[in-house]
Amino acid sequence: MISKSLPRIRWSQLFKPWENIDPWYLLCAVALMLLGSLMIESTEHGIADLHDGNFWPWLFASFKAKWFVHISTGIIGLGAALALPLFRYEILMQWRWIVYGIVNVLLVAVMFFGQEELGAQRWLNIFGFYLQPSEFAKLGVIIALAATLQDRPARNLGAMFQAIAVVAFPWVLIFLEPNLGTSLVFGAITVAMLYWGNANPGWLLLMASPLISMLLFNTLLAMGWGYLALWFVWVLGIGYVGWRTLPWRMWGGLGASVVNLVSSGLGGFIWNNLLRDYQKGRITMFMNPEQDPMGGGYHLIQSRIAIGAGELWGRGVNQGTQTQLNFIPEQHTDFIFAAVGEELGFVGSIAVLLIFLTMCFRLLVIAQNAKDDFGSLIAIGVFAMVLFQTVVNIGMTIGLSPVTGIPLPFLSYGRSALIMNFLAVGLVQSVANARQKARY
Amino acid sequence: MARTPSRPSRKPIAPPLRRRGPSRSAPSTFIWPDLRATPSLGRLRLVWLALLVACGLLSLNLLRIQVIQAPELMRIAKSQQMTYLRPFVPRRPVIDRTGNVLAIDRPVFKLFAHPRYFDDKKDQVAKELSPILGKPAQDLLNQFNQAKSGIKLAEELPEDTAKRIEHLVIDGLELLPNQQRFYPQQGVQANIIGYVDNAQQAQAGVEYSMEHLLKQSPKAVRLNRTGEGTLMPEGIPSGFVHQDDLRLQLTIDSRMQRAIAPVLAKQVANFGAKRGLVLVMDAKDGAIRAMVSDPTFDPNKYYEVNDLATFKNWALTDLYEPGSTFKPLVVAMALEAGALKATDHVYDSGYLEFDGWPIYNSDRSARGSISLTEVVQYSSNIGMVEIGRSMKPDVYYSWLERLGLGQATGIDLPFEAVGQMRDRKTFTISPLDRATTSFGQGFSMTPVQLLKLHGLLASGGKMVTPHVVQGLYDSNGKAYWEPKRAMPKQIFSPNNTQAVLRMMEAVVDYGTGKTAQVPGYRVGGKTGTAQKAGANGYIDGANITSFIGIFPVDQPRYVVLAVLDEPQGANAYGGDNGGTDR
Repeated sequence: MISKSLPRIRWSQLFKPWENIDPWYLLCAVALMLLGSLMIESTEHGIADLHDGNFWPWLFASFKAKWFVHISTGIIGLGAALALPLFRYEILMQWRWIVYGIVNVLLVAVMFFGQEELGAQRWLNIFGFYLQPSEFAKLGVIIALAATLQDRPARNLGAMFQAIAVVAFPWVLIFLEPNLGTSLVFGAITVAMLYWGNANPGWLLLMASPLISMLLFNTLLAMGWGYLALWFVWVLGIGYVGWRTLPWRMWGGLGASVVNLVSSGLGGFIWNNLLRDYQKGRITMFMNPEQDPMGGGYHLIQSRIAIGAGELWGRGVNQGTQTQLNFIPEQHTDFIFAAVGEELGFVGSIAVLLIFLTMCFRLLVIAQNAKDDFGSLIAIGVFAMVLFQTVVNIGMTIGLSPVTGIPLPFLSYGRSALIMNFLAVGLVQSVANARQKARY
Repeated sequence: MARTPSRPSRKPIAPPLRRRGPSRSAPSTFIWPDLRATPSLGRLRLVWLALLVACGLLSLNLLRIQVIQAPELMRIAKSQQMTYLRPFVPRRPVIDRTGNVLAIDRPVFKLFAHPRYFDDKKDQVAKELSPILGKPAQDLLNQFNQAKSGIKLAEELPEDTAKRIEHLVIDGLELLPNQQRFYPQQGVQANIIGYVDNAQQAQAGVEYSMEHLLKQSPKAVRLNRTGEGTLMPEGIPSGFVHQDDLRLQLTIDSRMQRAIAPVLAKQVANFGAKRGLVLVMDAKDGAIRAMVSDPTFDPNKYYEVNDLATFKNWALTDLYEPGSTFKPLVVAMALEAGALKATDHVYDSGYLEFDGWPIYNSDRSARGSISLTEVVQYSSNIGMVEIGRSMKPDVYYSWLERLGLGQATGIDLPFEAVGQMRDRKTFTISPLDRATTSFGQGFSMTPVQLLKLHGLLASGGKMVTPHVVQGLYDSNGKAYWEPKRAMPKQIFSPNNTQAVLRMMEAVVDYGTGKTAQVPGYRVGGKTGTAQKAGANGYIDGANITSFIGIFPVDQPRYVVLAVLDEPQGANAYGGDNGGTDR
């Protein structure tokens, strides 16, 4: 009798607002965040044992510990990620310029009031909290770009350049910080979203071609004059692509080739005069870290040794000697994967990779099933961001790509990045939640 | 709760609205074209391809590193994380019998510069270092410009200099501590102590022979080191850097050593000798009180020595024929064998011939019937041959054997040479061999062995072993270790040794050893001059003159041996060495 009079908790009703979110995507994010916390704890483990085995000192020390900061930031982020699907992401279509404006204001602010560290001005101190605007800028740019492309898909050159113009302003601000890593992420996001937004692949290739010419010309030149034939073939090929895809075919093709020729020469100039030493070092170091084993190559060598020492099954959490003995400085941020590789081994690394793969897979599914281009583009933007950061970061730790200061999503320590990643989860979940799911 | 207009954004997501079906009607507040995202299949495939290629590439490389290259990388990891730590425990100091330090370890520093880490300008650093190192600033600057790091600026900087450099607080300077053996008394005991080279390897003397007592060699411990180079304390056993305060005490008396050195140097110079040697032994137990050789070297600067022979302690590494200094021992043997009595006389004919070899006295005289004392006093060769002949060859040889001829003395210094001696058969057959042996020729021994044999006469017939090591003592003088020495064997009876001593006293009082007279002391002695033997017999004009002294005669205690190698000049005979006695 009584039970009938009591209101029955209707679980299905309680979860109704989230019924269409993608649980796998959320689960992957949470799993990575928790694993990140565990691995960050491990990197701190060897450094200090502050608590002497007592609970309260341990708890007190933990509040300051990075792993605790990571997990608490992650929980706040998770809250945001769960809250966002309750709102319709379409609102952002209206708010895009506000979002875009805030991002740019913060980026400008960091230029003037930023905290400098390691030769770059990246952090804003807001009431004692350090904010990294460039991280939030990624999400802001995804939103602004998606909205722009929703309004005007990049089917023609004008629309494409309009979209690029939207990205260009924050991109320049970030590049000037200087923050090479984030500007590369911007590039990856932009290319992926333009591609998804129906831009002609030829145009994207043409856009990237000056950079490729630059690299080709200068590396081939270093190898010998004869190799320049290869570069010449490339320039001709680009001319052909331009001829095929650009309006005013003749001029388009010619222009593409000329731009490539000019940029090739320009590359040397930029390399010699504009790039900072640490940027140059980072770009070339990964190819041969032994050229400076105690300097720029140190991270790469040590991280590779750590991951290799993990062998098949790993050394166990808190057991990785390379990690515990601090052979990789600042391991809790960009080089957290070295700890994963050493302590969890090949099996753990592949598991982490599989989680990222699942996440990307779900992002693609969400992008495909989004009810409009805006949502779809947001999902693709986030997809590109996660994929690019993951590949470049892990590639960096195993010596496949240059050290660019790109963190591993959800795993690397960094509050701004973690919050931003969870906001991205929330945003994409909002897209997923709003999709029209076939119901049976 | 009723919906209020203040929350319009909730409306579109309200369940009833979404349940309506596939209609994509937007809320009235939002107006945008109802565009279904329709990426072409080709584009989707390409994105998928990018995703899979990227993940595949990473997986393959992880496989390569973590499975294929794993053993090698594991090895590198281990080798860079582990370090073998052997704590540097200084060598134990060496002191003399009164506690003066003869050898001690002290820290020295190597100074390296790493200009890469200089905060200041290079010329500023050079300017600050220049007065401390005593080098011109320009020289230092030139060195700084040679490399970015790892420039060795100085070696063997003493501790106070190192402290001054530390107080400059300059980044990029590195002081590497090291231990260096320091010999405060310089060359005075160099032949006894030897030296330790820069690689902490003992090369001569007590440093070499007592290595096991001087070197404290704790086991190396395997430790983990961090990326910054810090050593992790886990795995260090307790007492790992235990260090005791034991010191190796020698029997040497530095004061005596110091007193003898200049006198010997003067004598060597006076006679233009190649080298000189003075040994002083306490016959009670065989403790060597002084062992002075000239020339010597400064063990602190062993690397400045050009002639390697300087390093050897020729008191025990070089053999020579003892000559007349051996005669008292033959007398003692004859007395002990009962072949003669101390009061007996022998006939000195002035000339004898064996197997066609003539034998004379050194002054070609013939003294007729003389007492044993006179034989020793005049150092009569013919008299000695007669004394030797009083013993049966077999008995004679057995006595020589009992004295240990042709055997090592067992002194606790390294590289001792063993004397030459004929075998029993030759000796018993050849009267010539027996004859020459009687006046100390035809066999060889080291100066230390001669000293040891005369120790018999000074100790009442006991065979003591010469030694320089007293033992290991802590800082309170408590003995930690003392060498176990065998009970000295009684070879001669005290009566006979006393009789021979009195004969030797006559040498000093009336005979060839007058220069050895010391007022207030009864001194017994014997001079000797032996020709140096080369590859083809005796070398003309190359003599070794020596003097053996024992004092005081009434209560014999000390045996002194002075040797001059190749003294020049007409009167360069054993008697002159007596002057080196104190």
